[in-house]
Amino acid sequence: LPYRSPVSMAMRQTPLTCSGHTRPVVDLAFSGITPYGYFLISACKDGKPMLRQGDTGDWIGTFLGHKGAVWGATLNKEATKAATAAADFTAKVWDAVTGDEVLTLAHKHIVKSVNFTQDSNCLLTGGNDKVLRIYDLGKPEAEPQEIAGHTSAIKKALWCNNDQQILSAADDKTIRLWDKNTKEAVKSLSFDASVSSMEYIPDGEVLVITYGRTIAFYKAHSLDLIKTVDAPASIHSASLHPDKDFFVAGGDDFKLYKYDYTTKEEMESYKGHFGPIHCVRFSPDGELYASGSEDGTLRLWQTAVGKTYGLWKCVLPGKFT
Amino acid sequence: MTFILEIKRSSGLRFRRVLNETPVSVLRLPRGPEPNSRGFDPTSPRFIALCPTTLPSSSSSSGSADEEEQRLRAELRERFLRTLLLMTGKRVRFDMHEHVRVHARFGASDIDVLNLQVCDLETPLGVQREALLRSQDVIACSFEV
Repeated sequence: LPYRSPVSMAMRQTPLTCSGHTRPVVDLAFSGITPYGYFLISACKDGKPMLRQGDTGDWIGTFLGHKGAVWGATLNKEATKAATAAADFTAKVWDAVTGDEVLTLAHKHIVKSVNFTQDSNCLLTGGNDKVLRIYDLGKPEAEPQEIAGHTSAIKKALWCNNDQQILSAADDKTIRLWDKNTKEAVKSLSFDASVSSMEYIPDGEVLVITYGRTIAFYKAHSLDLIKTVDAPASIHSASLHPDKDFFVAGGDDFKLYKYDYTTKEEMESYKGHFGPIHCVRFSPDGELYASGSEDGTLRLWQTAVGKTYGLWKCVLPGKFT
Repeated sequence: MTFILEIKRSSGLRFRRVLNETPVSVLRLPRGPEPNSRGFDPTSPRFIALCPTTLPSSSSSSGSADEEEQRLRAELRERFLRTLLLMTGKRVRFDMHEHVRVHARFGASDIDVLNLQVCDLETPLGVQREALLRSQDVIACSFEV
């Protein structure tokens, strides 16, 4: 039998619910670890993305300005800048300390995805006009570089391999790896179903993809398949723990699943959300993971159930009355 | 204790305690948005540290020098408190007066940082399970982050 510590065996997971959004939460992202902790941004169909303290879920502020559903949101590593992608045909860059809007980048259609480079100097956008765009934030007036090739709406676009390459997933059921300088597609993957989510782990160069009921892991450089795992229900999003010992996934059946990455065994499943789960991500320290749902809430879940961390408090058995 | 026996296809037998599990306690719920504000509190330490130009500046130059000193003091204080937080649970080396150097696991300090609560204090007389160190006796603390 796998060994589990006595404390976690006796404890039941208590998710922390972050309320405030009034429509489905469709995307979320963590910052890196900063001197002030780490932060979480959530994209919502109510058009009002929110910034929260990452380890407690406490609301810090709401970015006001978009005139339509916000489909994508991201923070830079230092949590000093935020970027959002919206149905009002714009991507916006924000000061994540003051909440002020810094830049509005007009597009020709709904924008779905935004991603900063490691140095926060460039912003990658992708959306329904099927074109990837690279903006130099030091020269916001300049025209962005464009990369065309996808034949359907782009769902997610990410910098990878030291910001020298770009990974994009689109409704044309392909994932493409692009060279940012030549703007050529270096590699491509085709699927039978639409890819629902994509996560890139720089440390170890792993790509996590979900489609149908499958969670698949690829080497980001070569797009070689590492392994696939099938879940009991259709999965919308998955995230790999920083130590690569487990991953979490959520989707249509409202549940969050936790799997052992090495053995591919399902370890736990958690109920809590009242609607399908659209996004799930591990925090940068791996101590918790956040999920966003159709029910309009974000929930924070402990990786080690029962451990004292953030708002969770370890109470030893016997001392609990 | 009540157990429910589950037979899993791939991994053999698995015991699962379902009925007697205790839910993890929480200190409080996450704070939600304020109804009439977009947030981004300008008095938060992060805001003050990263947006110094938004601080109100007084007309006299000595006034602004005072404010700058105040801001730096606040920043240093905050760093000190964060270091104490980071030290919690870690094995710390305390360099004290009279060339005393001891190791212990740091627990907490009191509100005025007059006493430091430690466990497993290694002394020449043996290991003291619980102890209080007087802060005024401590010259320096060091630990692995």
